[in-house]
Amino acid sequence: MRTSLFRLIVIGLVGGASAVGQTYTNFVRQWQMPSGVTWDASDMVAATGSQLSNLAINPGGARFDLWTIRSSPLTEYLLDSCYVSTYTPVAQVVIDTEDPSGKDLTVTGPVPANLPGRLRRTRADRPFTVFVNVQGMLSGATDPVGSRSVNLFRHVQSYGTGVGVGLDRTQAILRSQASINANGLQTLAYSMTTIPGSNLKKLRGEERFSVFSVDDYQSPAAQLASQYIQVWPVTDGIISGITQDQVVRFSMPQITFTYNDIYPGSSVYAQVYRGERVAGRVGAILVGGGKTNTGSDPTVEVLTPTNGVDSLFTSDGRWTIELMSSSPFGVETLRTPSDSLAFVTFTIDRTIEVNGTVTTIE
Amino acid sequence: MKTIPFLKRSAISLLIILSGSAFAEPPVVKEGLTSAQLLLARRQADAQDPMRRMEASAVQDPSVVNRPKSLLGESDIISFGNFATLVPKRAILQIPENYADRIQMKPGAALQSWRDFYALNRSWITTVEVTRVQAEGNEDIAAETKTQMVKTGNLVIATYLGGPISVLPLKVPVEKTTAKMKP
Repeated sequence: MRTSLFRLIVIGLVGGASAVGQTYTNFVRQWQMPSGVTWDASDMVAATGSQLSNLAINPGGARFDLWTIRSSPLTEYLLDSCYVSTYTPVAQVVIDTEDPSGKDLTVTGPVPANLPGRLRRTRADRPFTVFVNVQGMLSGATDPVGSRSVNLFRHVQSYGTGVGVGLDRTQAILRSQASINANGLQTLAYSMTTIPGSNLKKLRGEERFSVFSVDDYQSPAAQLASQYIQVWPVTDGIISGITQDQVVRFSMPQITFTYNDIYPGSSVYAQVYRGERVAGRVGAILVGGGKTNTGSDPTVEVLTPTNGVDSLFTSDGRWTIELMSSSPFGVETLRTPSDSLAFVTFTIDRTIEVNGTVTTIE
Repeated sequence: MKTIPFLKRSAISLLIILSGSAFAEPPVVKEGLTSAQLLLARRQADAQDPMRRMEASAVQDPSVVNRPKSLLGESDIISFGNFATLVPKRAILQIPENYADRIQMKPGAALQSWRDFYALNRSWITTVEVTRVQAEGNEDIAAETKTQMVKTGNLVIATYLGGPISVLPLKVPVEKTTAKMKP
């Protein structure tokens, strides 16, 4: 029996599942394979930090599970799980996106790092990159099977119309798998998600990449590293209360802006400018017609600006109102749910024309 | 067509703030993809999966057969007063009759780590340090220790270096039978 110890790293225990007013307690369990002996190592590690485990692992290895439990209602959340053994390789998976939320910007180098307990996210139409780093792999013919290769798995899972709470991850779809037989870093670039769904703009769910050890005589295939990102839908918008080419005679009608699926951390707004719609044009912001989503899930906003709308339209002629989004993916003109650009161009004609005649009689 | 300088300036200023830099150039404004464009991009993404360039693998998906099941399901809950804690199943070596009702979750109790809970309940909980060999069921707990456990009348938890640990049933060694040879 080997007595070598390993490094148990527990980071960000609280961040992932904490909420205001809720009590969460964290537990770390070491599960010895193949015996099944379970040791509670919760008090061995601080909430953030690293510690050598005091329970030596068998040749079959051990799995470390990091859980957090909410007291009321009694609910469990598995935050992370990692298998280590005396000869299986060590793996690292990092997923990077254009959205810096959750990224550790202090880390430089070929492989980025994410902040403890923070999820990375992207949008349904945007690219992401996966870094898979495997070390400690052996190549000798007599080396154990489990030391000579690992498997990489890609799973996708839709949230449907929800935000992934209580998700049963055993229902995820295995999209692809590959074998890794050499040490080193692999960089996988994806142009967009392949989460299933009929409306590609409205996909919401997860992309998960996991490295598993190879099943051998000592233990079953077990997770060496895993990470997932959340994928949120593309924002769309609707302008109502005014129609294309409408002629406004006096004061502006009441206009309503509906924004669907505002991406977390992004802002939506309505801009105004004189003339026909011009691609890329920057206009004046319509006060009360925009919102910033400061949460971590997509939101819906229905806004009806009331003050100062008329003052923006200072002269007669053609005017355009356009719905916009400013997000980590840039500044964009939104589209409507039916795919057209979300703008309306109309005419303001406030000039009163008086027709009259003057006649004189001698 | 005449523009309105003030409105234009204010719009640019706000957009610069939205883009995160007071010194940045006015942002490049793009148009969101149409559904048709996105469908085309999706087909390309499906066709260009980078994992297809790696060595193929066709093993059974281990993520559904070998993953942590349930911490609560694999634990015993001990509660007393307004607090409770979890220990691995088979870590409780003795449950005296008068403490049997404490092996459950009391409604409204707040969960604590084992160390915090034990510190508050030493009067009725006793721990017995076991070795790894004993936890694996390869060696019995000393008879003297077992006698002491009964004498205390306390709830007894098996620990390894202070942390609760499951103790598997003692493995009974298989006796070798030698066939008698007929003369």
